Amino acid sequence: MPGKNVLTISKLRASVAGKSILKGVDLQIGAGEVHAIMGPNGSGKSTLAQVLAGREDYEVEGGGVTFDGQDLLAMRPEERARAGFFLGFQYPVEIPGVNNAYLLKAALNAKRKRAGMPEVDAYEFLALIKAKMKFMQMNEAFLSRGVNEGFSGGEKKRNEILQMLVLEPRLAVLDETDSGLDIDALKVVAKGVNSLRGPDRSIVLITHYQRLLDYIEPDHVHVFSDGRILKSGDKSLARELESRGYDWIQEGRVA
Amino acid sequence: MSSALQSFEAALRARPPDRLAAMRAESMRRFLELGLPNTGDETWRYTNLRGLAAKPYVDAPRIAAGAAVDAAASWLAAASTAAPVRIVNGFAELGDGAPPERPGVTVRSLRSLAAQDPEWLLERIAPAADTDEERWALLNRALFVDGIYLRIDSPVEDPILIVHLALPGGADTAVHSRVIIETAPGATATVIEHHIGSNGAAVLANSATQIELAADSSVEHYRVFAGNDTMTHIDALTVRQARGSRCRQFTIALGGALVRADLRAKLDGPGAAHDSHSLLVGHGSRHVDCVATVLHASPQATSTQTSRAIASGTGRVVFNSKVVVAAGAAGTQSNQSARGLLLSPTAEIDTRPQLEIHADDVKCAHGATTGRLDPDMMFYLLSRGIDRAAAQSLLIYAFLDDVLTGMSSPAARSAIENALIAELPDADLLREFR
Ligand SMILES: Nc1ncnc2c1ncn2[C@@H]1O[C@H](COP(=O)(O)OP(=O)(O)OP(=O)(O)O)[C@@H](O)[C@H]1O
Ligand SMILES: [Mg+2]
Repeated sequence: MPGKNVLTISKLRASVAGKSILKGVDLQIGAGEVHAIMGPNGSGKSTLAQVLAGREDYEVEGGGVTFDGQDLLAMRPEERARAGFFLGFQYPVEIPGVNNAYLLKAALNAKRKRAGMPEVDAYEFLALIKAKMKFMQMNEAFLSRGVNEGFSGGEKKRNEILQMLVLEPRLAVLDETDSGLDIDALKVVAKGVNSLRGPDRSIVLITHYQRLLDYIEPDHVHVFSDGRILKSGDKSLARELESRGYDWIQEGRVA
Repeated sequence: MSSALQSFEAALRARPPDRLAAMRAESMRRFLELGLPNTGDETWRYTNLRGLAAKPYVDAPRIAAGAAVDAAASWLAAASTAAPVRIVNGFAELGDGAPPERPGVTVRSLRSLAAQDPEWLLERIAPAADTDEERWALLNRALFVDGIYLRIDSPVEDPILIVHLALPGGADTAVHSRVIIETAPGATATVIEHHIGSNGAAVLANSATQIELAADSSVEHYRVFAGNDTMTHIDALTVRQARGSRCRQFTIALGGALVRADLRAKLDGPGAAHDSHSLLVGHGSRHVDCVATVLHASPQATSTQTSRAIASGTGRVVFNSKVVVAAGAAGTQSNQSARGLLLSPTAEIDTRPQLEIHADDVKCAHGATTGRLDPDMMFYLLSRGIDRAAAQSLLIYAFLDDVLTGMSSPAARSAIENALIAELPDADLLREFR
């Protein structure tokens, strides 16, 4: 069915530590679409991403989210991932002692299990992972290291994209995956994201910079402010934000 | 006098005196004078022995060689290609069917040495000090019936496995076994002591091991406590290291109701290096208490102490480490790293690294942290589709990684990992992880 929504967020409200952060978010993401969310620091973008991924520290106080027709908020975080939701973290955590290759394999197998598929063959997996790493211009030595352990900021972001490419999610929310990347790394990350674009997949890019959107063209751009989406538009909105900042939108709201 | 003390004294009186009788009598006299340690003693603050003190213990019976022993095989057997040296209820099983001696390795029974050359043996039995920690070692000096003397004369590749097996004999039984390990200059070996007990009545195993390292020799030593849920393991390990020698020590607590493991290492020659590692699992209602002291008595020696403790249920783990730098031990370098991971709100972990420095020009670091599983790490794994139990096991395993990766015997490491994994949730997944 054309135009069918992958994700529908309605009137979503959430708080953390008794402080209200999301104050009524409405957003619809169709299959194959790329959305960009921009907005001032502290406006709640990462909170939205974490609530969608199922982080328990955040309390959902109202509204709802459906993901491919299912009640996303009723699912545990691991179920969301297996159902095809992927979060690229703004600050990927280091997990010394848990091997990177192992995590990738376990994650892939968890997803395959849910789909009724057998576990990935060890040889096949290695071939897959090596191809994806080459594509992401990552050194294979990263495979045997602990998850993100001692990775530079840029390497961590590449690793997030690598995981995304291996897991081939239905919906990827990438929280500032472009922050801290040099220009070459930005191109590699953009290439990775673009390679995943397709009629069945949707992508949400949370970013502060027009630069990323030069490489990954969004279908829709949203401005997030004080816990809600204040304005939506097409890619020209991003350019306008770049030159004018956020004030004119926020003032517009008051008026 | 408590029931336990009375029974220990009676045990010595009931035995036919051997040629170590004077030393035994003196050790017993001193032990009775000091009594059992109690929670008022500095290094016994966390471990209450009242239940133990109230019991009358009988000597564990001697079991005919080979009998009933198959029922309690060591899961560390695969770590060595040779048959293990067994100490069953304190008696060394040597002689007929004894493991063949390998080049560079001499194995003798302490009982036969006591009969043949008591003077020679007495010189080798370490004096026990009057400190709180060493009271049990004092009791061991009085009551050990037998044990192993192990001498390493050259580099020995294959690990040597010693199995301390306790087979209960009805009532509360006590087993006192002793191991003496000596190296020649330049010799190297891996020695694994596996303490196990078959199911049955509560056994009190009070063991003592001494390691004497000659110049430039090196030993990797493991002591693995894996008795059943009713067993009490008390063990005193004493290490003395000459110039340029190296000791890598692993203390692994995986079984027993109560484990009390002491380590006293003396770096007695310039450039000696001592690295001890502890992996302490306080699951269920197990109580694990370790006291480790490294004395830097010579200049330019180095030591590290790394402990990783986990506790769940109402389990409790105590790890007290201490580095003492004697006057004149310039150029000492030491590091103590103690970390604890609490897996339930009713579990408890206490770590206390201490330093006592009487020299200048030393570098001594220490750190101790105890906490719960990191929620950010947990969420990251969940967000990748890993289920909660598996994620928890992975993180526990990762927490123990620093100790596991330090083991240089792959076979020993693999056997220990298997035993460890069996204690964690989602064992199958973890097996694959390795
Ligand atoms: N665990 C928490 N405890 C208290 N306050 C929190 C917590 N998490 C987020 N907040 C607050 O919620 C608000 C929104 O934070 P969030 O990280 O979602 O912003 P953001 O839009 O992603 O900002 P940035 O662009 O800087 O990444 C901030 O004021 C932040 O301090
Ligand atoms: Mg953010």
